[in-house]
Amino acid sequence: MINRNLAKILAKRYIILASLLLIAALGLVLLPAYQKNEHVTAEDLLAKVVNPERYVTSDDLAHKIIAKDPSILLIDLRDEEEYAEYTLAGALNIPFDAILNADYEAYLNQGQYDVVLFSNDDFKADQAWLILTRLDYKNLHVLKGGINGWYNTILNPPEPTENMAKEAFERYDFRKAAAMYFGVGIKAQDNEQQLNRTPKKVVVPVMKKKKRKPEGGC
Amino acid sequence: MDKSSENNRHVYWNPYFGGFLLGLLIIFTFYMTGRGLGASGAMKSSVVTLVDKVSHEHTINNAYYSKFVKDDESPMNTWLVFESLGVLAGAFISGSLSGRIGFRVQHSPKITSRRRLVFALFGGILFGLGAQIARGCTSGAALSGMAVLSTGGFITMLAIFGTAYLFAYFFRKNWI
Amino acid sequence: MGPLIPNGILTNEWNIIIAVLIGLAFGFILEASGFSSSRKLAGVFYGYDFAVLKVFFTAAVVSVIGLYYMDYLGWIDMGMLYVHPTYLWAAIIGGAIMGVGFVAGGFCPGTSLCAVAIGKLDAWVYVFGIMLGVFIFSEAYSVLEGLYNGSFLGNITLVDSFDIPANYIIFGVTIIALVAFFVSDIVRKRIKKVFY
Repeated sequence: MINRNLAKILAKRYIILASLLLIAALGLVLLPAYQKNEHVTAEDLLAKVVNPERYVTSDDLAHKIIAKDPSILLIDLRDEEEYAEYTLAGALNIPFDAILNADYEAYLNQGQYDVVLFSNDDFKADQAWLILTRLDYKNLHVLKGGINGWYNTILNPPEPTENMAKEAFERYDFRKAAAMYFGVGIKAQDNEQQLNRTPKKVVVPVMKKKKRKPEGGC
Repeated sequence: MDKSSENNRHVYWNPYFGGFLLGLLIIFTFYMTGRGLGASGAMKSSVVTLVDKVSHEHTINNAYYSKFVKDDESPMNTWLVFESLGVLAGAFISGSLSGRIGFRVQHSPKITSRRRLVFALFGGILFGLGAQIARGCTSGAALSGMAVLSTGGFITMLAIFGTAYLFAYFFRKNWI
Repeated sequence: MGPLIPNGILTNEWNIIIAVLIGLAFGFILEASGFSSSRKLAGVFYGYDFAVLKVFFTAAVVSVIGLYYMDYLGWIDMGMLYVHPTYLWAAIIGGAIMGVGFVAGGFCPGTSLCAVAIGKLDAWVYVFGIMLGVFIFSEAYSVLEGLYNGSFLGNITLVDSFDIPANYIIFGVTIIALVAFFVSDIVRKRIKKVFY
């Protein structure tokens, strides 16, 4: 004899299946909304944070600027007034509060340039770096020490004392030469500061998506 | 053909079961490749290949063919062509398991097979034309489009079934 | 995570193997559901067999619910999936032409391939017709180009079109599908059976 209960259940199988489907769909509606962890996992982010390559020293940067390295893009995160007052040669002004502005995304989210972020010190730039890296933007760097560090090392380098190593003297020589290049004599930087502000327009081509989009169609 | 497989011929899966498996397959396809299923794309590739064989110059000059002709590889080397080969094989396996293989023309007893073939050709031409205009057929545009809630997919689906219902009356003799 | 191949988790060579395997399963499911029979397919338009509607809607609902659950769990990135682009008038007119073709020929391209595989001669003719249709379209492309490329709305989804969260749309689609199943069973009981 066939189990009657089973037969009863089987007779209602479509209703049961339909309710299952309905519950599944309802489940999607009722699931608590959550902020999806987009783009970067915690491990990736941590690996990038501890990677020393995210910092650029002012000496390296000076080298690159003097060599007219075309692959770097300097981003000044300070506000417009400070930018107008003094900035690095060829730097682009994106105030810190505006880094997520869609207008600037093409500059920050692209794979062709090494973006160097800087502000007065490296605190703001670090923050910006973290925010942008979290969005999976690539090739971001922070200028170690920021503008203040730049001033203290390149424009106004401390003179090495006699008992220091040979490299320190070489570095000092380079820095002095660099300071000359940037148009600032070590003693006379105050009145010549206006000269080296070159608000050169940096044109960044529209960025391309890195990942291959699936193609489709029938 | 023995009796059991003769009876088997019209025994198909429960449509909900088939639909459920098809749904899982669509999920799997999107999970693997990020794209949906398709069918008419393979036929388009075949046409492009054939025309390219006959006159390469013509395919280069035609604005539509030239989209699919590349210098370094055959237009047949696309995902959909391989998928369609799989479809042929899969359908053959299923058909042979239930004894549905055999050359025949299936038609309503009220019409001749000649009429059925003429209408099949006519319907095929229209479907091929429509599938190119809408960029996809029932599987590529409607089914896979609906899986990702594509507006175009829903519009295409509604247009296909809506017009089919509207015109069903004129073709009723062919089917019932 | 997913989709695996566009994200580079699986190499591109797998694409071909997976294509054949997916096609195999696709063909098997279609054929086993009876989609190799044009008379069964046409039944949906005359009310004697609703297999098309049932399979089609079940598949659509299951897949959309499944995909959104996977998205919720972070297994798949919905933003990476290919969304069929919306060319409004091309979709409507193309769909209308396909609709006439469907009811006249009794197949759609996927199902006709299944029928070709099991030797239905009408399906062979149908596939030939499709290729002819593609050929006609390509030759007349200069005339049809305006329609083909016009009224482009982007790769939009219903979420963009109606500005309702996806979850509610899915819930709505599910209810529509269940109502359609229910109604189709009632209709089928009232309509004279057709044996094929």
